[in-house]
Amino acid sequence: MTLSVTGLSAVRSGRMILFPTSVDIPPRARIGLVGSSGSGKSTLGHALIDDLRKQGHSVAHVPQSPDEALDPLRSMAFHWREAEVALGLAPGSADQETLFHALDIAGGDLRKRPWGWSRCRLLRFAISMALSGQPVLIVFDDPTSALDPVVAAATMDLLNTFLTEQETAMILITHDLGLAAQHVESLLLLDQGRLVEEGPTQQVLEAPQTQAAKDLAAHRNWMSLPC
Amino acid sequence: MLVVKNLTVKRGARVTLHDISLTLAAGETLAVVGESGAGKSTLIGAILGLIAPSSGAVTWNGKPTGDIRPALVMQEPRAAFNPTMSLHRSVMEPVVAQNMTLPVGRLERLCKGLEIPVEMLHRRPTEVSIGQAQRVGILRALIASSPLVLFDEPLSALDATTQKHTAQLISDLQKEEGFAALIVTHDLGYAVAHADQIAVLKAGRIEELCGSADFAQAPQTPYGKTLRDAAITLGALEAAE
Repeated sequence: MTLSVTGLSAVRSGRMILFPTSVDIPPRARIGLVGSSGSGKSTLGHALIDDLRKQGHSVAHVPQSPDEALDPLRSMAFHWREAEVALGLAPGSADQETLFHALDIAGGDLRKRPWGWSRCRLLRFAISMALSGQPVLIVFDDPTSALDPVVAAATMDLLNTFLTEQETAMILITHDLGLAAQHVESLLLLDQGRLVEEGPTQQVLEAPQTQAAKDLAAHRNWMSLPC
Repeated sequence: MLVVKNLTVKRGARVTLHDISLTLAAGETLAVVGESGAGKSTLIGAILGLIAPSSGAVTWNGKPTGDIRPALVMQEPRAAFNPTMSLHRSVMEPVVAQNMTLPVGRLERLCKGLEIPVEMLHRRPTEVSIGQAQRVGILRALIASSPLVLFDEPLSALDATTQKHTAQLISDLQKEEGFAALIVTHDLGYAVAHADQIAVLKAGRIEELCGSADFAQAPQTPYGKTLRDAAITLGALEAAE
C-alpha cells in the first residue's frame, strides 16, 4: 500500500519553515530526503512521521545520534521492553534474536546501561528497536554522521540487506548526496522549506533542474568538484 | 619542517601512541585518518606540546613545537569561541597573546580569502551560521602566521556543500601563506582530494603512510582497504574504474 501525506507545513516563531508539501511513499521504496543545513529536511521528516502515525500506520524513527534515543540511567533490556510496550507487543514477542543477528549485535549484554555499549552498537540497537514493530516505513535522520566511516558503512550494508527481505520502506534524511546516491532509488530535494525537485536518483544526479539540485549534485563527490 | 620521531605516549599503563614517525614540510598537507580511539587527538595534543611524550620527540626545524605556537582549528566551531566575546576579540587573541603587531591589511586580506565580511566579526558566535563560525575559526588559526596549523575534524559539523567550499578556501590560502597543515579527519574523500600524504592510524600505530593518490588507488594494508571501501559505500570516494 502506498503511503501518502498531503499539504504538510510547519511554522516556527512566525516563520514558515516548511511550505505545504505532499509526498507519496510506495511499498519497499527507498527515498532520500536531501538538502543543505536548514533546508527543512528534519522538519519534513518529523511532520511526515506524525501525520502517518495519525493515519494509523506504524512508522519508526531512528534519530541522528543514539544518545537521543536512549536513557543513560536505564538498562538496554529496559529500553527494549519499553519499545515493546509502546508498540503494544507482549513481552518477548518482538523477534529480538533475528534483528540482533541481522544487525550484528547478537550477544550484547542487555543488563548494561547505554554507556556500557559502543556508539556503533547503540545505533544498531536503536535501529533494531525501531524495526521490532515491523513498521511500514523507517525514517533515518542522518544515521551515519555520528559514526566512524567503517562502522557507518557496515551498518548501512546490514540495513540494506535486512530491508530487502522486508516490505518496509525507508526514508534516508541526509545533506550528503554522495551517501544518498549509494542507498536510495529516488530523491526529494528541499531548499529553504520547499520541495524543489524530485525524481529518480540517477536523473537528479545527472540532469538536475534547479539551482539547489545543481549545487548538491556538483558537490556530491570530493573528486569531481566544479573548481 | 615538522618531524615526529619515534613518538610514544602512555597514559597510565595504556599506550595511546606507539612509535609514531612522520614528517611534514612547509606548504604540505598531511591527513591523519582512522577510527575513534585510534589516537588522532592524542597526536594533535602531543604536537601542540600539551601532552608530554613518554619517549621520542616532536620538533619543528629542530626546535620544540611549543616555540612556534602551532595553531589549532577545532571540530565544533561554536564551542570553540567564547560566547560572551565578539568574534573579533576571539580572532585577535593569538595576536595579543604573542604581543605581535599585525601587518596592515592582513585581517582584511584573510577575511576576503575566507569570504567573511569584516563587519561580521563584531557579532557574537551565536549570531552567525555554523559554516561562518568555522571560517572564523580558521581565520583565528591563520591570523598570527603560525607556520604549522592543525585541523581537528574541521569540516564534520558542516553540510556537504559547505564542506567542499571551505576545504577549497583552506587549500587556496595555504598556497598563499605556505603553512604546513595537519588535518585529522574521518572523511577519506576530503583527505584524498586535499592532502599530499595520508597517515592511517589504528590503535595508536601508523598502519600506512603514503601519497594520497596512491592510497585512493591501492591501499597497501587490509585496514587501509577497509577504510577505502567504507568511503566508497558512503559515497565519499568513487570506486576505481
